[in-house]
Amino acid sequence: MIETILLISAVLFIFALKLFGRPSTAHRANSFAMLAMALAVFSAFNFDFSKYDSAFYITIVVSGLLGVLISKRVQMTQMPELVGLFNGFGGGASGAIAYVELSNTSLPISDVFVAIFSMAIGIFTFSGSLIAVLKLRGKLNNFSTKLGNIFSVFLPTILIIPAVLEMDTFLNEFIILVALIAGVIRVAVIGGADMPVVIAFLNSLSGIAAMSAGFIVNSIILIVAGALVGASGIILTLLMCAAMNRTLLDVLKGGFGTTNINNEYAKDPISTSPEDVAIQLSYAESVVIVPGYGMAVAQAQAAVKELTNTLKDKNIEVKFAIHPVAGRMPGHMNVLLAEVDIDYEDMFTLEDINSEFSSTDVVLVLGANDVVNPLARTDEESPIYGMPILDVDLAKQVVVLKRSMSPGYAGIANPLFINDNAKMLFADAKEGLENIIKSFELV
Amino acid sequence: METTFLLTLLITFLASFIGYELISKIPQTLHTPLMSGSNAISGITLIAAILIYPEVGDSQILQIIVLIAIAFATLNIVGGFSVTGRILGMFKKND
Repeated sequence: MIETILLISAVLFIFALKLFGRPSTAHRANSFAMLAMALAVFSAFNFDFSKYDSAFYITIVVSGLLGVLISKRVQMTQMPELVGLFNGFGGGASGAIAYVELSNTSLPISDVFVAIFSMAIGIFTFSGSLIAVLKLRGKLNNFSTKLGNIFSVFLPTILIIPAVLEMDTFLNEFIILVALIAGVIRVAVIGGADMPVVIAFLNSLSGIAAMSAGFIVNSIILIVAGALVGASGIILTLLMCAAMNRTLLDVLKGGFGTTNINNEYAKDPISTSPEDVAIQLSYAESVVIVPGYGMAVAQAQAAVKELTNTLKDKNIEVKFAIHPVAGRMPGHMNVLLAEVDIDYEDMFTLEDINSEFSSTDVVLVLGANDVVNPLARTDEESPIYGMPILDVDLAKQVVVLKRSMSPGYAGIANPLFINDNAKMLFADAKEGLENIIKSFELV
Repeated sequence: METTFLLTLLITFLASFIGYELISKIPQTLHTPLMSGSNAISGITLIAAILIYPEVGDSQILQIIVLIAIAFATLNIVGGFSVTGRILGMFKKND
């Protein structure tokens, strides 16, 4: 009976992933996955609910309610923090379970190794994720990469300590401590804009920790679901790295964008006014908007929607070009735009839209920088050389809405800003857009 | 014992492979809900907590640690699915 339930659960999980492949069916995928999870959890009780005391049930009900509360309250701009926090919880839970299993002296030796692995990965995910959340909230600046380097050298040394001291009583606690510190330091040295990679990577680790916990308690469904999460996280991690033309090791090393590079501009940019942008847009036939982290910071999504409506009313074609690493997590920009009812069919990936820029009348860059920097194509010395970028500089006209000329995450100048076809509108994304919309009413 | 372990490894490999194939086809637009959804699924470690809870015996500390694991995992499952549902609702076509 239990086996049948578990089989159905595993099949449902896989079907859910299949349905997730298209935006129109994805909401059904979530229901499938929920059903799969409910069956899996139910089966774990083995029809014996009396083995559990009130503390157990109270914990489940209270944390469940808390989960609902958090999910209803969270703003879409805070999704990276929420996903980061949940990665940490997942890892922490698996790590805690592995610790409890290790305290069980009758554990076979092969399981001991799996449990130590699960515990170390789980605890590392926990502390690393909490640091990632703090970084996303802007509460932590970049630590020197030296800290990371020193730690990488010391880590093997620290791990010898228990062997030297012939420590056998607090060995597990010692591993937890090392994993906690390793998570903190490893993530602390990585910059804010690399968080999409870090979050995806920690996501994968939380799955791997769950999967190995499945090996200890002999639960196939736990292994299957953990493996699915692990695979999903790895895919996203590799996609994000490819979108920056960097390796995972390079990202995890940290310290990107801190090198000193000459970022002077050869000439002053042409600055423009909201009125001029409104006129420019009203004469266009096709407009592409490139959103970046600046849009999220300024909470400018509603203004984007309003501008889109205004342009569409004038029969101007509006498309959105979204770079894979725009924002602070994979797909971040898409969710923010979907939240204000922008059709997902108007959102285009880099591969789909890059060939269209040369025939686009106006490109509006909204708080994005490195992902539209043409140096990635031309300057072999540049730290971003080889990174796939949105070729907005090929468009007929470009308007960059940005607060200042300050460099992006890579710390380098962006020659797009002084391109002959480009104009700068210096403003906060939201304010700038609202002023453009107001000017439309006067045009 | 030997065969069960190998069988388990085979299942692990197959699950990772199917996961990799299916997830590679998910469009960029859905990557955020994919992550929050996999957050929810990683809460499946709740099963392990349910299995070991009756076996921790008299140790209060171990019992509390398992309860913490239960709280974390439940938060992940409920919060993860709920927020994923919220996001995916935004991607539904308004016909």
